Amino acid sequence: MFGFEAIIAHDGLGISVIGISIVFVSLILLSLAVSQIHKLIELWDKKNISYKRLKKSQQKDQKTPTVSNLTVPQDVQRASRQFKLLIEWIGEPFPLPKLLDLSEKCGLSSPHSTINEFIKCKLIIPDENGYYIWNKQV
Amino acid sequence: MSSDIQTLKSLDFFADLNFGELEQIAPLMHLMKVTEGEVLTRKGEPARTFFIILSGNFMLSFKEERSFTLHNKGNIIGWSTVVTPFRYTGTAIALTDGLVLYMAGQEFLRLIQSYSALGDKIMRKINKIISERMPYVTGSWGKGGTNCLALKQ
Repeated sequence: MFGFEAIIAHDGLGISVIGISIVFVSLILLSLAVSQIHKLIELWDKKNISYKRLKKSQQKDQKTPTVSNLTVPQDVQRASRQFKLLIEWIGEPFPLPKLLDLSEKCGLSSPHSTINEFIKCKLIIPDENGYYIWNKQV
Repeated sequence: MSSDIQTLKSLDFFADLNFGELEQIAPLMHLMKVTEGEVLTRKGEPARTFFIILSGNFMLSFKEERSFTLHNKGNIIGWSTVVTPFRYTGTAIALTDGLVLYMAGQEFLRLIQSYSALGDKIMRKINKIISERMPYVTGSWGKGGTNCLALKQ
C-alpha cells in the first residue's frame, strides 16, 4: 500500500492536522509571552522603587497615630458616659450650648471643664457648621 | 492691674504694633481672672468690653446655638466694641478658669479713631477675625466653603 491510501489507512491526515494545530498554538502562546516581556522588564526595573515606597509607607503608618489611638483619661471616660446619654437625647449634630445647659440642669459636676476636656480629647468634634458630633472613633 | 508691654508684644493680635503703639495700649488693658462658667459677653447686649485671652478655654455661641471654642493665647472676644452697632454678636462663656486682658470698649474705639496707623493695623486684624467668625454669626456658610476656625485655633 502506497500514497494517499497508506496515509489514510494510518490516520495520516488526522495526525498532520493535530501536528499543525500544536505548532500554531505553540506559536501563538509564544508570541503572547513575548508581547508581555516588556511588562516583566518594567516590573524588574521598578522593583527597587516599589520596595522603597512600601518601606516608607510602613514607617509612616507607624509614626502617625490614628484617631482610634487617641487616649482618653479615665475620669473623662467615666464622665463621657453621662454626657453621651445627653447627646443621644439631643440628637446629632448637637449644639454645644444646649449640651452645657442640659448638663447643668442634670446637676453633672463641672460641666464646662468636662466639655472642654471632651473637646481637647477630640471626643466631641465640630461638624464645621457650628455644631458638634460625638467622635465614635475614639 | 495694667498689662505690661512684653505681654502685649507676645500676642499675635498686637504683633504688628511698634513699641510706641504698645505703650499707648498697655495702660488701657487690664488683667482679669475668670472662673469656670463665667459669662464674659452676652449676645445682643451693648459691647462695652474687649477681651484678649491669656489662658483658659472659652466657648462662643451665636444664633441657632451655633458655637465654637477658643483655646489659645491671643484669641480675642468682643470685636463688636469697635464695629457698629456696638452690640455683642455672641455669648462668651469660660469653660475653665483662666486669665484675660480686658479693655473698655469706648477707650479701644477712641484709640483706634485717634491714631490712624495704629487703628489701621488693629482693624486689619479684627477684619480677618470677623471674616472667619461671620458664618457662625449669620449661620450661613459659603457654597462649598468650610470653616475650620476651631481646628485652626
